[in-house]
Amino acid sequence: MISRKDFLAKSLKASAGALLTGATGGLLKGRPSDIITILYTNDTHARLDPFPDNATQFAGLGGIARRANIIKKIRRNQPNVLLLDAGDVFQGTPWFDVYGGEVDLKLMSEMKYDAMAVGNHEFDHGLDGFAESANKAKFPILAANYNVAGTLLNEFVRRFIVKEIGGYRIGIFGLGIQLDGVVDKKLYGDVQYRDPEVWANGMVRSLRQYQGCDFIICLSHLGYKYDNARIDDVELASKVEGIDLIIGGHTHTFLDNPVAIQNPSGKNTLVTQMGHSGVRLGRIDLDISSGTEVNMSDRFYTIGKV
Amino acid sequence: MIKPVKALFLILLITACSTTEKVTEKSPVYTEGEIENAALTDDSKVAEMLESYRPHYQAEMGIVLTEIENPLIFEKPEGALGNIAADALRFRASRESRRLVHIGVIGEGSFRINLNEGPLTLGEVYEFMPYENHLVLLKLTGEQVLTLANQIAEQGGSPVSGIRFQLQDNRARGVIVNSEVVTPTKEYWVATSNWVADGGDNFPVLWSPKERIDFDVSIRQLYVDHFRNRKMTEPFKDGRIRE
Repeated sequence: MISRKDFLAKSLKASAGALLTGATGGLLKGRPSDIITILYTNDTHARLDPFPDNATQFAGLGGIARRANIIKKIRRNQPNVLLLDAGDVFQGTPWFDVYGGEVDLKLMSEMKYDAMAVGNHEFDHGLDGFAESANKAKFPILAANYNVAGTLLNEFVRRFIVKEIGGYRIGIFGLGIQLDGVVDKKLYGDVQYRDPEVWANGMVRSLRQYQGCDFIICLSHLGYKYDNARIDDVELASKVEGIDLIIGGHTHTFLDNPVAIQNPSGKNTLVTQMGHSGVRLGRIDLDISSGTEVNMSDRFYTIGKV
Repeated sequence: MIKPVKALFLILLITACSTTEKVTEKSPVYTEGEIENAALTDDSKVAEMLESYRPHYQAEMGIVLTEIENPLIFEKPEGALGNIAADALRFRASRESRRLVHIGVIGEGSFRINLNEGPLTLGEVYEFMPYENHLVLLKLTGEQVLTLANQIAEQGGSPVSGIRFQLQDNRARGVIVNSEVVTPTKEYWVATSNWVADGGDNFPVLWSPKERIDFDVSIRQLYVDHFRNRKMTEPFKDGRIRE
């Protein structure tokens, strides 16, 4: 992972190089910025208000309105922003008891989230509770390995989306955790969990070959790493080639920087996760100016603290 | 010879930049410091939307259950809030199962807030125990109870009820249950949440009990009931885990 400083220095060199090799003002005209900024959260758990002062951890941190403020300011600077969440938006404060996930999804729509993954707690009020809240979301909810056919979720849950930014195509797909043993069967009903590795491979093939994607992001609610046999983001990254970035959740892991895992093609897949409760907002910038190599830089912001 | 080249480069750079500015992006509106500072202030639109939901939220969650006399907090090895949390589990399990429940145990990790002095609302109890877990009874052998005491000791203490011991070098010494020394071959009932029984809060000995009974009693509701039945909740410690 290159540091932000290196990245800025490199991107500066790249643009100077372009000028010297005879790029005209014409080429630059109308061309959007060469930076794609990915902002992300996971496991926000209905933490709409900041943690109260008597919280056992993170007192005073978080808060969706403050997250919205920083996102809005970043959007003023960066024309190309993708805003993503890796699931478990629901459950964790009394807001969920009163409103289900409705308030969260409405406010996330106002903030222009582009997509979220399905977390296990999204099922906490059953499929009808999930569907009723999902109805308020103006962005897609992703889970490639959940078969939702014939359930109330069919209308809301999609396998993937493709975002085109300045001719650069970013494919985003979701993966959900095994439901059996994690979610009460009564709550997930007829939704079927399928092998994440198999479906990730299928998604990569489809996104690269048929959708012409240049960059692939997996929004995963599998969890960062386990000691047992359950599949996690690290294992997924090492077994599936073609994913550039895994934005993870479930295990509430605070990773200060993304972790690079070598995938079967010998390239690196980055795995990242931003703890929980909206205490942090993650940011990864992709510099796509070279056309061949993507330079990345990363940082995070702590909400409620500078 | 070098100077003109440099100058030419600068001109190109300036021209290019000014062209870009006119046509597409301006230079950043905010400095990185200004962006970081934005995490301290609310976005007015989102804050306003959230506030529009608050009156109904308050009406449902602002119900006062009890008065807290002095702040109740989790502490190690023993804290007043942990004592209440574990006692409530054991008492309720005893009532539900109509038998002697020897021990109550749960990890501090199951809870999210300490309780402030003053009126305690329903919303605060829901914050205190945020997740939908249910009450579980586990049957352990005396030997497993001693292992449990050591697993609690390794964490420097945790909320417990019905069990007393002394901490020494991360081990439990002089373990007493129901005012008696633990007999390794006897059986004991332990109350906890399904989350803990299924692997949460890290008490591995609870993952292989002799027997397990799940009750249709929500842990959150259990705490709501527990606090609601008290006019006043005072903190107390009785040295159940001591150094």
